[in-house]
Amino acid sequence: MKNGSQKKIGIVIPAYNEEKEILNVIDNVNKKFKGKFSSYNIIVVDDGSDDETAKLASKTNAVVIRHILNMGSGRATATGLSYAYQNNFDVVATLDADGQHDPVDALTGINILIDKNYDLLIGSRLLDNTGMPTAKIIGNKGLSFITYLLFGINLTDSQSGLRIFSKRSLSELKWKTSGYEFCSEMLWRANQLNLKINEFPIKAIYTEYSMTKGQNNWNAFNIIRALITRRIVELFGE
Amino acid sequence: MSRYLILIILNAPLVIAGMLNALVSYKTGKINCKRATVQFIIWVIILAGIVSVKFIYEYLFSNHLTQTEPLSLFDVIEITGIILILFIANRTRIKLENLERTVYDIHQELSIRTSLEKKK
Repeated sequence: MKNGSQKKIGIVIPAYNEEKEILNVIDNVNKKFKGKFSSYNIIVVDDGSDDETAKLASKTNAVVIRHILNMGSGRATATGLSYAYQNNFDVVATLDADGQHDPVDALTGINILIDKNYDLLIGSRLLDNTGMPTAKIIGNKGLSFITYLLFGINLTDSQSGLRIFSKRSLSELKWKTSGYEFCSEMLWRANQLNLKINEFPIKAIYTEYSMTKGQNNWNAFNIIRALITRRIVELFGE
Repeated sequence: MSRYLILIILNAPLVIAGMLNALVSYKTGKINCKRATVQFIIWVIILAGIVSVKFIYEYLFSNHLTQTEPLSLFDVIEITGIILILFIANRTRIKLENLERTVYDIHQELSIRTSLEKKK
């Protein structure tokens, strides 16, 4: 049995048109992870970007997987996790490519997951929301509440991109949606599989750049619609 | 409870969802202002039609423009047809979702393999 530092760690970064920030994110991960684990790999999944995201990431130590078509954040994350599973990773963290997450939080999450034997750990920006814009707090709380109503999963931040996956999650967890609604659907599927889920507090770094990326509150209505549709149609068979 | 009120209660959420959909599509940049306005107006007209259905029906009835039997054989066939179409639609949805899943998986595998091949 491997101890924590001997485990093969993967950091999956789904990216779409992130040429401005991708090198900083990779550099930050390298700085924070170096020496902490015997083996760690950064896996950048370029979701069919129009810009130089893949080209820039290829110049670093990261493994770069390029989607032929733009498939959405949900599919980019699935591709990264599938690669990690095929290459026998023990624990995988996902990070946003806009620099919103501090790799130290991913490191903390990985250690918690290993220590407590969780299968899925969600980095919650809302357990301590100091510095988070009010609109983001309302939007994320609203979506977490909808996730609870539809799927019965009570987590404070159902939309967080910082997630830690165990080996069991990598092999069993699958979802159908491809847009941002996959965040909630993933929790639903994990619950159906009886995976051990929990959350831990993280700090989100909101810069002018990261505020322009990711989800805006209006998109929340699209997410809610997609989740309700998925919940209803599955009543008639999967 | 009045049948007209039930009709409004059942249909109003659908109309409101339609209005909200038009607004969200506009705000997220999927449609332009003109198209959003047209969609919104259509939903407002539908809502007005539902709200005033009692008056419309009374007008049509008093002018002998709508008189039907309680339940005709045609109604039975029609309802059966609707249920059958729903069934077929659901079967088609399941097949489409499976096909979509296959396409996702092929794309995923192709992306991984071609990216790794390039690196070699």
